[in-house]
Amino acid sequence: MSRVLAYCGFQLAPEIALPAIGVNAQPVQLMSSGDLGLLWSEVEWPFAPDQMQRSALEFHAVVRHVFTQTAVIPFRLLSVFEDQQALRAFVAENQERFLADLERLKGFVQMECVVYPAPGQAQAGSSSGKAYLEKKAVAMRSSEGFAQAVRGAVAHLSHEVRVREGKNGTRIFVLVERDRESDFREAVSAVPLPEYLSRRISGPWPAAEFLSDQVKAPEIVNQNIAGQKIAGAK
Amino acid sequence: MGRGRPIHLSLMPTDLESVEILGGEEEVSLLEILDHVLNSGVVIHGSLVISLAGVDLVYLGLNVVLTSVETALSNLQIEEKRKK
Repeated sequence: MSRVLAYCGFQLAPEIALPAIGVNAQPVQLMSSGDLGLLWSEVEWPFAPDQMQRSALEFHAVVRHVFTQTAVIPFRLLSVFEDQQALRAFVAENQERFLADLERLKGFVQMECVVYPAPGQAQAGSSSGKAYLEKKAVAMRSSEGFAQAVRGAVAHLSHEVRVREGKNGTRIFVLVERDRESDFREAVSAVPLPEYLSRRISGPWPAAEFLSDQVKAPEIVNQNIAGQKIAGAK
Repeated sequence: MGRGRPIHLSLMPTDLESVEILGGEEEVSLLEILDHVLNSGVVIHGSLVISLAGVDLVYLGLNVVLTSVETALSNLQIEEKRKK
């Protein structure tokens, strides 16, 4: 069966070049509504598990193609609509919210820094449960301290900062002006880090962490999505 | 709706080369891309995101659960150990 796979939304502008081919070599198509553009492809659904990795990379390539030119609101891979009509209804319902977020995030990108236990640290403390827990607690406190230090180090670059604690580390998201990515990397790299912690800096990414809640998880009424009739979902 | 079997994303070193070809980003790892395309962005009804002990999982409306990126990373490490 075929489904409609949405890639990303963006503010339409004549100078933006669009990608031609998307996931599973399907043509990328544009749906427009006012100033909002949304890229999509018709795909065979569900994806074959052994093709999932390639599909993810192809999905990423489409989003990135537009993101290198302007701000985008990415969908998550595997967000599929029943058909074009369902997608059009979604766009009509959410157009204003999407455009408001795109306007707010225009000119910004998302940079990230993850801090996590250095390789070998977990095993080093595994001789006893108590030692392991103590080490983990120290690492967690250090991660929090590092996150605070990063906030300070990028204060002159950041429009907004969010920190999320995960199972394997602390993730710091920073909204940075486009073209200042290298300044961010330099500033974060200069923040001292205990030897038992490692850091990984990445970006630029679309500013997905900074989307408004209504855009991240839009409410939908009377639409067919992913093969389910959702009536009055609000 | 019941949950289906997990799909394990087996990450092979050759796939890192694919990342460069597709994205032209030498410093972006496959794991980071997977993490972003699966866990960042708009969620529409019909797919739910659940978090288990801080690990994001994507639960699909088609009875499929994808392993988290962290699990995928474990798979990669196991694969690398086997090769050594």
